[in-house]
Amino acid sequence: MRRIEFYFRETAAGIRRNGIMAFAAMSTAFIALFLFGLALIIAREINLVIEAVTGNVQVAVYLSDPVRPETVTRLQTELQQLPAVASVEYENKDEACARAKKLFESNPAITENVPCEVYPASFRVTLADTSQYGQITARLACEPDPTTHDITCSEPGVLKVLDFRDILDRLSAITRVLRNGVLFIAVIMLVSATVLVANTLRMGMFARRKEIGIMRLVGATNWRIRVPFLIEGLVEALVGAALAIITLFLVKVFVVDQLRGRIVWLPLIRNGDVLAITPWILIAAAGVAIVAGTIGIRRFLDV
Amino acid sequence: MISLQNVTKTYKNGVTALESVSIEIEKGEFVFVVGPSGSGKSTTLRLLLREEEPSAGEVFVAGKNVVRLSSLGGIPKLRRNIGCVFQDFKLLQDKTVFENVSFALEVIGKPKHVIDARVPEILDYVGLGEKLNNYPDELSGGEQQRVSIARACVNRPLVLLADEPTGNLDPNTSVDIMRLLDKVNKIGTTVVMATHDQAIVDAMRKRVIELDRGKVVRDQSRGVYS
Ligand SMILES: Nc1ncnc2c1ncn2[C@@H]1O[C@H](COP(=O)(O)OP(=O)(O)OP(=O)(O)O)[C@@H](O)[C@H]1O
Ligand SMILES: [Mg+2]
Repeated sequence: MRRIEFYFRETAAGIRRNGIMAFAAMSTAFIALFLFGLALIIAREINLVIEAVTGNVQVAVYLSDPVRPETVTRLQTELQQLPAVASVEYENKDEACARAKKLFESNPAITENVPCEVYPASFRVTLADTSQYGQITARLACEPDPTTHDITCSEPGVLKVLDFRDILDRLSAITRVLRNGVLFIAVIMLVSATVLVANTLRMGMFARRKEIGIMRLVGATNWRIRVPFLIEGLVEALVGAALAIITLFLVKVFVVDQLRGRIVWLPLIRNGDVLAITPWILIAAAGVAIVAGTIGIRRFLDV
Repeated sequence: MISLQNVTKTYKNGVTALESVSIEIEKGEFVFVVGPSGSGKSTTLRLLLREEEPSAGEVFVAGKNVVRLSSLGGIPKLRRNIGCVFQDFKLLQDKTVFENVSFALEVIGKPKHVIDARVPEILDYVGLGEKLNNYPDELSGGEQQRVSIARACVNRPLVLLADEPTGNLDPNTSVDIMRLLDKVNKIGTTVVMATHDQAIVDAMRKRVIELDRGKVVRDQSRGVYS
């Protein structure tokens, strides 16, 4: 108890004494961790879009109503046997409806007004070799319709085929560029934050060199001397993390939620998505604190 | 209690501060270490504290070979058994008399009830029972040195090392401080004091070890300064 109280008091005194430097370190940590979280959220949002548009498959084969069980079995086997196909999953009308409802959960305009019957059953195909897509259209005798650009098929029971390869590639590329760009800035900011936190620790140790000298003299252990500074670094990083998390929720409420319902087809991140990235922000903050602590107190390691 | 065996200390810059020095000090002794400036008095004390390592030879304090101690536990433990007093007092100006002394117990993890019992007791012992809540800059030099002695003794060390403790004090105050150190010695603490103060050494008639250019040139019980 007494020891904890001691560390608390020393840490608080340290941050107060280091005022401006501690403030600079915390703000940098905040910006860095915010950008880091933003990168994760952007990636999450684009994944939601990809899921909405493609259902995470490369090719979808829609079946016309009414769906006959024997057609399903036969077509599934035949598609499965094509060398270009890695896997075929059948999704019936109820499942299609349930997936749409979940995807557009936050958009009642869609979930309430669109009846379940309109969602077609489909085979969701993952290709082993994306360049061999033609095998599917050949097998199902499909032709692009010159007016609608839909690919319609003569195979009985098949409504149309949708090829998501292109859009998947593009969306993945966008994700990569956006996420990596923001991550890159975030990493630079995280490095600056680490340097600044390390520097506050070092300045704190310098300001308290007389106390540290006396602590050594009377037989305080190295850890007893260092821990207040390590806690100080951790507190600075965690304050930055807390501010970053709060700001990300604010962005979600004041930016994302304002879009909700305006772009009907666009699924948007929800509170749970923001919540899901907070552990990563805390881990990054802990990383900043550990690295800063290690380099900040290195010069004072010797007894 | 203290044993230096053929100790040589050469600093990184090549200065040899001690050369093949052997000293034995028994428990409860009071020893003056004298000698001209640069003769190696402070170096001797720093070796006992394990602030410096000998370049050759062995240093034992309270039965422990201090060179072998680890910085993780052994060295802090050694220092808890050694009190230190310096010419410049080394008090923390932003702490009161009480806090300066309690700090020494706090940072080695002593519980609050021990601190609350021992700090007023030791401050009373050194004659500062009335000044617990004063700050160092409100005290005279002699009083500040008493605080520093209280801090050195509050954990009941086996050995008290004093490096010119009267260096900044006038002769009368110095005599008071020497009385206090003698009192600390009388309760069983081994005292080793480096000094330039001829009057004090001559008045106390304790064992005198004289160093000159890093060598022991005289070791005399009930000795005088020169
Ligand atoms: N940290 C150090 N690095 C290098 N040389 C040192 C160091 N400390 C002391 N010396 C040298 O070692 C020699 C002995 O120094 P020491 O401080 O032990 O002398 P002293 O007897 O205490 O002198 P004084 O009476 O002036 O305090 C001196 O020549 C000094 O310059
Ligand atoms: Mg000296």
